[in-house]
Amino acid sequence: MADQIKDLYLFNPNVKKQWENFLMEKGISVFSDQEVQAIDQTIGLFDDQGQLVGTGSIAGKTIKYIAVSDDGSGASGARFNQVVSALEMDLAEAGHFQIFVFTKPQYQASFEHVGFHTLAKTDYGLILEKGTPNIETYRASLEKKPADAKTVAAIVMNANPFTKGHRYLVEQAAKENDWVYVFVVNQDVSLFTTAERTMLVREGTKDLKNVAVENGGDYMVSYLSFPAYFIKNQDTAIKYQTALDATLFKEQLAKPLGIQKRYLGTEPKSHTTALYNETLKTILPPEVQVVEIPRLTQGSGQDVVSATEVRADIKADQIDQLTNLVPETTFAFIKDKKTELQDRISKGQKINGN
Amino acid sequence: MEIKQTAMAGTLESSDLQIVLSQGTKGIEFDLTSDVAKQFGNDIKATIKSVLDAYDIENASVKVVDKGALTPVIKARAITAAQRALDLKDQPNWEVL
Repeated sequence: MADQIKDLYLFNPNVKKQWENFLMEKGISVFSDQEVQAIDQTIGLFDDQGQLVGTGSIAGKTIKYIAVSDDGSGASGARFNQVVSALEMDLAEAGHFQIFVFTKPQYQASFEHVGFHTLAKTDYGLILEKGTPNIETYRASLEKKPADAKTVAAIVMNANPFTKGHRYLVEQAAKENDWVYVFVVNQDVSLFTTAERTMLVREGTKDLKNVAVENGGDYMVSYLSFPAYFIKNQDTAIKYQTALDATLFKEQLAKPLGIQKRYLGTEPKSHTTALYNETLKTILPPEVQVVEIPRLTQGSGQDVVSATEVRADIKADQIDQLTNLVPETTFAFIKDKKTELQDRISKGQKINGN
Repeated sequence: MEIKQTAMAGTLESSDLQIVLSQGTKGIEFDLTSDVAKQFGNDIKATIKSVLDAYDIENASVKVVDKGALTPVIKARAITAAQRALDLKDQPNWEVL
């Protein structure tokens, strides 16, 4: 028995059809364009009759759409290992030695068998990781809390850009705790780049001595990369993703770092964020307390301060109005980079998401 | 010698072993996954350690997934990984071999 690995080129409609049929037989049935277009490379495993007996794909540094057929000869384990091995080799060639897998709980053992470590597990699915850097090196890279800090809190924010609302949330946490970690979401899909967002949070909280601003790495709210392909219902998908994210935070960060509280802003506007906050409230307690702070309102009005509005103002070229919404540091930056930001918007950067 | 880049050698297929070498700071640190770790874990580590010693690699993080490889296979995979990690792919170290 000599199975052979070959590249599958999904832009060929025949190949794609064959691939989809194979995966559907194996119980994976969602092929949304968003998921499929994110794939960088797909390989197929063929037996000596030329039949497709296994496949796997790479999207960035994530392994997706992996399936092997079990013909009852007990070869499925070997095939699985062969596919994972080939994918890892391709990822290594591309310079990725850190690999993630999102999968269903029943495949946990198969992946752990080939050297993956489970980061978080829920009833719906799990995330595993292999290679370096990993969660341990990430934790080691974070600023150490002072030895006498008793109460530790964490905030996760996208801060696109850092507003007075964010500042208010950080201030509250800093007042009520000895040490506060602010994790800035790493995913670079926002109007303000990750470097800019992180810089603005750092600048805007410089005067608060017990606040450490850190990049969230691959471990916080990178749920855009989580696959929704085996769940059809949009809300279920969000629930699945946020549950994983919350569990990961609780197990891999809160526990080892001694974080006892997580601060959130109440969310009247975004449906996704509201669902996310709900999930956090179900999963984190009792070990991690969830503290919800009512959103800051502007001046006398009822309007909450939101980054969405800031972005709308930038688009509408109403920069002067921003002094009500953002701290001076952010304002100076926006004023300075106004044309560049407006340029990004006109080039199609979405500004009404999160 | 210092490891210049993370390097991988070997596969996850039966009778093989996959080894990933990356920079470390605290000596040679092993992370071994093997069904026979209980019986042969120390032997596997010793074989790899001897190869790393031959290359004067003092600090490294070594991730190993063993699928029942025999000693010569382990040695061969370790040598390949070391050559790649030290960026010496085109200059085989004959004395080690």
